[in-house]
Order: sequence, then C-alpha cells, then structure tokens
Amino acid sequence: MSCLATRVHRTLPVLSMLAAALVLAGCASTPAPVAQPQRPQIRPAAYPVSALVGSWGIASYREDRDRPRTETMARQHCRTPYVITPGPTDGIMMHVADDPKAYELTLKGGADGKTYLGFETPPPHAQDREILSLTENVIVMRFIAPDVHARYGTFVYVRCPGGAQAAAPRRT
Amino acid sequence: MNRSSFIRRLSLVAAAGFASLFATSAALAQAAPPAAMRETMAIGDEPGRVSTEEVIIREGAFARQLVFFRSTEPVGTLVIHTSERFLYLVLGNNRALRYGIGVGREGFTWSGLVRVSRKAEWPDWTPPPEMIERQPYLPRFMAGGPGNPMGSRALYLGSTIYRIHGTNQPETIGHAVSSGCFRLANGDVIDLYSRVQTGTKVVIRHAATL
Repeated sequence: MSCLATRVHRTLPVLSMLAAALVLAGCASTPAPVAQPQRPQIRPAAYPVSALVGSWGIASYREDRDRPRTETMARQHCRTPYVITPGPTDGIMMHVADDPKAYELTLKGGADGKTYLGFETPPPHAQDREILSLTENVIVMRFIAPDVHARYGTFVYVRCPGGAQAAAPRRT
Repeated sequence: MNRSSFIRRLSLVAAAGFASLFATSAALAQAAPPAAMRETMAIGDEPGRVSTEEVIIREGAFARQLVFFRSTEPVGTLVIHTSERFLYLVLGNNRALRYGIGVGREGFTWSGLVRVSRKAEWPDWTPPPEMIERQPYLPRFMAGGPGNPMGSRALYLGSTIYRIHGTNQPETIGHAVSSGCFRLANGDVIDLYSRVQTGTKVVIRHAATL
C-alpha cells in the first residue's frame, strides 16, 4: 500500500504536467486569428524609371504664377545640370533632400494612383517625392514631407540639350 | 576709404565671397530622421526654413527703435555699422531709425559707399556654383517666396553681389554669419523696404565712429 501510494505520489506530478502540456498544446494548436496589418504594396509606376535618366536643368517655385519663368530658368541652368544615371539594379541614382550622397531610387505606384520617387519602400514614404507630371523633356515633382516641400518648393526638371538618356553623365 | 581702395577691397571680398554667398543663411541643423526613415547623411546646409513674414525683432537692442544719431548724412541715407550690427535710417535732427542686422562673418565684411540699385519683393535666389557643388540636390534657381533664403524683401546694393535682405532665421540677427550681405528679420526688412527708395545712399562702415 505504501508502495502504491508512493507510486501514485510520484506519478501525479507527471500526469499533471502532461495534462498541462496537453492544455497548452491545445491552445497552441487552435490559435486565435491574428489580424495582420495591411502592408501597402509597391505598385507598378505609371512611367518607366528610365524616363528620368539624363541631364536636367532644375529650378523650383512656390506659386503657380512662377511656374513658366521657373521652367525658363531651369533651362538656362543646364550649364550646371543635374545628371541622373542608371543605378546598379533597376533604379536610378539621385539625391534625397538635404543629403549630398546619391542613392538608388525608383519610381513607385501608390494605392492612391499617384507616382512616387524614392527608396524601394511602400509609398508614400516620408522621403519620397511625388511626380506631378512627367513628359519626355519636363518633369515636375515635389517632396511629400510638408516641411521639406515648404523649404524647397516644387521642382521643375527640364531636359538639357543633348541630355538624353544615352548622353554621358557629367556628374550627379 | 577712397574709391580705388574700396573697389580693390570689394573685388577681393567679392571673389572670395561669391563662392559661398548666402551659404550660411541656409545653415540649419537637421533633425535626426525617425527610425522609420532610411538613414542618410545629414548635413547642416539647407535652404532657409520657413518663417512668417510678420517676424519682427521686438525686444532688446536689435529691436527696431528711434535713437539719437549724430550724422552729417542727408535724411533718408542708410548707414550700416557692421561692428555694431546696426543699420540706421537717417531721419535728421540727430535722430535715426535703428534696425538690428546680421552681417558678414570674419573675412566677409566690407565697407564703402553704394546706392540702392534695385528693390525686390520676395526675391529669387540663385545658389552659387560652389554651393551647388557642395549641395548637388539644390535647385539651380529658386523663385521667391517663403522658405527662400533671401527672405521677404531685398535691396540690391549698387552693382555688387551684396544685398540688404530678409532672413527666415531671425535668431541670427546680431551675429556675423553671412557672406557679406546684411540681413534683417523678414518683418523688419518689409518695414525698411517701405521707407527706402531706389537710389538711396548707403554708407557701410566696418568700425563705428564716435
């Protein structure tokens, strides 16, 4: 009897642990559905990123009335062009705000239907630019961060003569 | 200072100063990017921060004020004392309206006699090539407006590259920070602009005279 009691006494903790493990395993085997955050997707951009490659005169404005003369000034500043070259992968080499180092950026489509230019992160991202219009020879874009946009204004890029994609870059 | 001496000195200052004209007016510490931002190299030079045009220095010595000012200059003349960081608008009867200003940093101060050759509201800004070299992301031309480092108004000084202009950084008033230009708080330069006509005589003195 005492032997049986001893055996039961020894066995009970083991059974308890097994029961507890089964309960826990049961919890683990039927997980409550966890809502996954909806991650914004990078959609295809409306323009090929290669459309940005080339030499550009760049200028900025704040008031729409200044847009025409800003475009003229951008054209006149082709003597100090901003050169956009292809990046090592699928993007292009450009700068973000307030940083003299060039990075590989890309064009991204947003869920809002807009086209963004920036790092390969879902748009709109704080360091992105929004492409307002893009033609073969003129691009209009702005930084989406309000404080950066307030300081720089809206940029006009005017393609420089001979500044086509195939042109040899001078510098970026 | 005689005219030839002034021109020679001005040429030297101009050659050195053009390299970084307005560079310091663009100086602004950049806040560290949030964690979600991609880390990129932060630098101090930025276009001027946005400041409302109403910013006026209202307290202290650099506040606009009527002062006793003994001068033989005609009424309406602007007298700049770079050492004092004051600009005086001569009113006559030993009185002047005094404004606090920011002046050229060491090596970028100058003196002479010029006239206001042009006035502009919300002037455009063209960064010098050397600044573009340092900050290649800058627009080569920035149309005037809030955020433009030239501020709300500009008085062009003769045929020099120097101006009396506004600033979006009123905390720099009273300091030697520029590349030779004279800066006032945006609200104060608007006031000065309304009192000064093209052709106004401007006397720039590096050292105050008793």
